[in-house]
Amino acid sequence: MKFRAVMIDAGPMREFTNIVTTISKLSKECVLRIASDQLYFIVSDENSGPAPPILWCEIPHSIFFSEYQMVGLDEQHKDIYLGFNSGNLARSLITLKSAKTLKMKLTKKQGPCLTLDIEVPSACSQQTRQVTHDIPIVVIPRKMWSDFQEPRTPQPDVSIELPTLKQLRTTIDRMKTMAAEVVIRASAEGRLTLQIKTDMAKVSTRFKDLRVETYGGPIDHSDSESETQINEDMSKVCHCRVDAKKLSMFLSADSISHNRTVCSIIHKKLVILCLQTEENVKLQCFITGIVY
Amino acid sequence: MKCYVPGSNVKVLGRTVHALARFGDELYLESLPECMLLRTLNAAESAYAMVKFNKNFFSYFNYNYYSTEDNEGLKCKISMKSALNTFKSPTHMDKQVENLEIKLDPEACKLIFQLKCKHGIVKTHYVSILDCKAMQAVYTKDSVPNRITSSQRLLSEALTNFQSSDDQVTLEASTQSFILRNYTECSADSLKVIRTQINLKPLEFTSYTIGTETTITFTLKEFRALLSFAEALSLPIQLHFETTGRPAVFIVHNGSTFEAHFVLATSKADNATQATATQNTTIDRKRKESSFQDSARKKVHIDNDISKCLDEDSHLFNFIDIPDEIPPPSALFNGDGAINGVNEETNNVNSSKINNDIDSDHIPASPTAKAMIKSVFRRCFESTFDPRAIRGVILAEDSDSE
Repeated sequence: MKFRAVMIDAGPMREFTNIVTTISKLSKECVLRIASDQLYFIVSDENSGPAPPILWCEIPHSIFFSEYQMVGLDEQHKDIYLGFNSGNLARSLITLKSAKTLKMKLTKKQGPCLTLDIEVPSACSQQTRQVTHDIPIVVIPRKMWSDFQEPRTPQPDVSIELPTLKQLRTTIDRMKTMAAEVVIRASAEGRLTLQIKTDMAKVSTRFKDLRVETYGGPIDHSDSESETQINEDMSKVCHCRVDAKKLSMFLSADSISHNRTVCSIIHKKLVILCLQTEENVKLQCFITGIVY
Repeated sequence: MKCYVPGSNVKVLGRTVHALARFGDELYLESLPECMLLRTLNAAESAYAMVKFNKNFFSYFNYNYYSTEDNEGLKCKISMKSALNTFKSPTHMDKQVENLEIKLDPEACKLIFQLKCKHGIVKTHYVSILDCKAMQAVYTKDSVPNRITSSQRLLSEALTNFQSSDDQVTLEASTQSFILRNYTECSADSLKVIRTQINLKPLEFTSYTIGTETTITFTLKEFRALLSFAEALSLPIQLHFETTGRPAVFIVHNGSTFEAHFVLATSKADNATQATATQNTTIDRKRKESSFQDSARKKVHIDNDISKCLDEDSHLFNFIDIPDEIPPPSALFNGDGAINGVNEETNNVNSSKINNDIDSDHIPASPTAKAMIKSVFRRCFESTFDPRAIRGVILAEDSDSE
């Protein structure tokens, strides 16, 4: 099993640092899957055992790394799965912002490690100094690989493009102090509503004129849980109740400079938030809906 | 003792007190004919700081203003908290304070700091004196083979690469390279902790002289404290060190008015110390009960390698009344057999290595604090009643099956 990658551009280094920092805010443990064409960061729900991942991030290596070599486990299993503490990796990458090169490789020093060799130019003189971080990792055995596959989700009911993550983040941060759950409503007419209910107040934030990606057909609202707004076609509206904290954790990804974020909702069941950047990085977060 | 500190120097004094506060809890003040000394020692006795202010730092300096009979200057110990209270915000002091007067009132046993600020405001702090002892440490500064001068920025930047949870750092200096590594004690932890290593080139330093290649390990907390002191005053740092086990001296001075010496105890970072550490913790336990809190991390104590050879408690840092003569630079201890101790220690290392006959690569780690506490106070952790202690007839059976 071998892995070696070199990164020399400042832009990808910054993006990589931002992505890893976002992941470290979401969860402490993270799984890195190294495939021949992409790098995957996978985060599962911490509370349960082998559960489908709640974060799935794909990074195509061609844009990020100038050199990328990997040799998988054996012929049939060409990938490498590693588990590590995401906080460790995030902290080591802090100096990446001013670095010249980053070299990542798998080594074995007192145990399997991911070694990061960073060359940093010194501010005091023309010299460069070398910083080496050895992050201890755990190699995940083959029999557990099936736990970390890309989740297959059914066709979403409504997919809508989100407004700027920063706006959403400030809204959700305020909301989560008041209530634990937030209801996301999306309509195929381009409207998104975030709603919370407390004993004393009902607060909703409405965004309109958003671009709708897909609309999977009329939605069944036979149970009368939904509230109707005036002039709204209920068959085009779907909603889902999610944990406000999880939503807020994902929204801390606003540090990643991104192109667009799409929110797909399966009525009452699942919210999928997908963030895509210019470098073709896809960060997907799955939040299961809370059903009473 | 009576002295006046001009406004511009009050900030320096404030920063000094703040830096010393990160070292220890008590401040020793001593006034001598030509200078005033501030000293402190940390609780684990592994770090010592001494700052000397020359006569020209003050606008008026009289070291024995009140005592007319003898030529004794002032020697006192005050609590660091009281000193910090006086110098609360050094940055503001720069603009507000015009003059600071420090005087000792021998009748009242108080040290008086009087700050004359702008707009006619006068702040007077009466600080109680805890003791009248002085403190003296013996260490070699000038006859060391390895000396490095560097700007504080270089080292501060290098330290940003380490985690804030890192405790100790290992410095490996050779003529070609200068390596800083973080150091973890227990082998169990080292599997989970990130290991960071920074290579610096000798050319980056202002001056770099390495006589003998050495590897030393010292604590990061005090190192960071002295680096921020140098950063606040924008001064370079000189490192003087020799071999492992001997203290490393960091010097910050501005050439004329003050000189600060920070002495950090060093230890070996390799496997040999792991074997000897078992014996050391036994000695330390006999000496002080309070060291249990410290033994959780290996005490970076100069006495580690040599203490087991000495019968009495021998310290690097002696509490004496008047330093009569300056001991020769090579002797570091008051106790006997300091040099012999080094030889005996290496013999013991060899014998303990021979004893580890199973696997020469695998040297068992020294027991951690919890293991030590449990082995000593084993009975306290056991439940008071052990059913196995009953032998013979059972007079009353359990009424419940559980």
